[in-house]
Amino acid sequence: MNPGFLRYAIVLIAAVGIGLLSGPVRAFGEERDCPVPERFYTFEPPLTKTAKALASGREVVIAALGGASTVGLAAGGPGLAWPARLALALAGRFPSTPTKVVNLAVARQTAKAAAERLDRDVVPLKPTLVIWETGTMEAVRGTDVDDFRETLQAGVDELRAAKAEVVLMNMQFSRETDAMIHFGPYLIVMRELANANDVPLFRRRGIMRYWAESDLLDLRARDAEKRRQLAAKLYDCIGRAMADFVTRSVPAAKAAASPGSDR
Amino acid sequence: MERDLRIDFFRGLALFCIFIDHLPNNFVAEFTLQSVMFSDAAEVFILLSGLTAGMVYGRAMERQGFVIAGVRVYHRVWQLYVAHVFLFMMFIAMVAYTVGALNNSLYAEEFGAANFLDEPGVAVTKALTLQFQPAFMHILPLYIVLLAVLPFVVAGFRSWPRVILFASFALWLAVQFDKRIALSAYPGPDRVWPFNPFAWQGLFFLGVWLGWRGTRGEVSWLGRRWLLLLAAALSLAGFLIRLNWTLHDFYDPIPVLVSGRPLWLFLSKTDLGLLRFANVLAVALLVARLIHPQARFLASRAARPFVICGRNSLHIFCLGILLSVLGHLVLNEFFGGIPMQFAVSAAGVAIMISVAALMEWFAAAQGTSRGSPLGAPTAGRGARG
Repeated sequence: MNPGFLRYAIVLIAAVGIGLLSGPVRAFGEERDCPVPERFYTFEPPLTKTAKALASGREVVIAALGGASTVGLAAGGPGLAWPARLALALAGRFPSTPTKVVNLAVARQTAKAAAERLDRDVVPLKPTLVIWETGTMEAVRGTDVDDFRETLQAGVDELRAAKAEVVLMNMQFSRETDAMIHFGPYLIVMRELANANDVPLFRRRGIMRYWAESDLLDLRARDAEKRRQLAAKLYDCIGRAMADFVTRSVPAAKAAASPGSDR
Repeated sequence: MERDLRIDFFRGLALFCIFIDHLPNNFVAEFTLQSVMFSDAAEVFILLSGLTAGMVYGRAMERQGFVIAGVRVYHRVWQLYVAHVFLFMMFIAMVAYTVGALNNSLYAEEFGAANFLDEPGVAVTKALTLQFQPAFMHILPLYIVLLAVLPFVVAGFRSWPRVILFASFALWLAVQFDKRIALSAYPGPDRVWPFNPFAWQGLFFLGVWLGWRGTRGEVSWLGRRWLLLLAAALSLAGFLIRLNWTLHDFYDPIPVLVSGRPLWLFLSKTDLGLLRFANVLAVALLVARLIHPQARFLASRAARPFVICGRNSLHIFCLGILLSVLGHLVLNEFFGGIPMQFAVSAAGVAIMISVAALMEWFAAAQGTSRGSPLGAPTAGRGARG
């Protein structure tokens, strides 16, 4: 090959690589075993209505839509699923506010099927906040991305018309599946849709990847019992991270977590 | 006639972008074509393939007649089909290897639906009929069906050029309004071909027409000044808007100047939305008008890695798919952040270039005539698409 070109390429790559070495990471919940770097939260729009409701002391209903990972199957039961862990974390932070997290997830439910349930199962609960975990079945099945976007947009519109705040939650991270399942286009749709609607996106995939990358959680466990424990821990981490995410704009919580960015 | 180095160069560029875009979680993918235009490498690849097909097979049809040219096209279709089946074998190997680990993982319930080995008979058969297109294996099936109808379209172009061009455009337009015009795919029920051939044929056959007639100056409106200005304006608008979105992705406080939401309708990749179609044509026209086919840069050493990859595009494309799978394994096993993503991207591109260089060297050693693509017999070098 052309040695001049190679030399040029190597110098360029080295220069860019050095320039991009990232600085120290500041994180929410440093005391915990699964902290989340602030960059996952910083630029997501705040949930002002939910924050106000949590601080008010009146009952708050949060609805969670999603698939198997929200049902909590891998951990063994709904009490160990992230919505239940979220409820626990919120109860700890707002002891005087009765908070109910309703888990409406169904394993392998598509976004379309979830959207069709909104007026029947979600709106009657009068939720302050709806957390919609989605995108997995679409990526697995290769659903048309334009259809996925339309479904999500209609769902978000419907929930907002019912005066609920919305959080979108994207897929889980796994080491094994990226070559089999093309998540990229669906992740982009969720990011774009969240931006366009000023809806916060809980980047579960990125957060889980971060945990795996920094050896905080080893997402591989061959043994069935270890796997169940791992799932329980993971869902607990997700639930507490979600509690941080939801309460970002509550004045008291804000004081605890210093603002800033690691970018 | 000398070889048009622009086609080789930009096809090489598209191949590198396809590889880099296919690496999951890759920071480098922020710097590919899709960051500066509404279209991405797929549009560039299909348009350039159309141009090449028009140049090679359009002229072959004039010289050798329908049957000989048709057989040459089908010889090429066969090569593409074999390449597709080869990629599918790799995919199945990957799935078979992964599935055991997946079933014993946290994700068994969620991702288990991706286990195509539940019904291997159906999955393999559907792959052979191009209805089963696993991740990253969408563009070859599209290219195969487009080439398969190419002889008839070219024959049509000879007799009724305007009618065929209009029909092709009308079909693209119809897809924009009626999403039901699509080919169904496996596994159903509502899965369709990720690249809708009824839409993408519009780009490919326009490319064929321009490659055949336009390159000989027989399409007079191509030289109009207003068209150049329009193309420049469109490319610039696409560049600014898309770059703004990319910068916003990098750093959220950078405001979005043109909201994407009203444009979504025109940005469909499956159905080749209007903006994607128009943007790639505009950029292609600018390149065609502003860069000479044998421009000194294109013949330089710096451009050579692109040119040789573009010239051996089928092999390098398949290699790129294989490398993106391997790259994914490396990135998800060792992580390593942005420096690692750069390293994997660079290593993959370097391997693609090395293999292309090896192929060029071997072809030269074999004494194949280089630089005269149209003189080569059978599916000669110029036919590489």
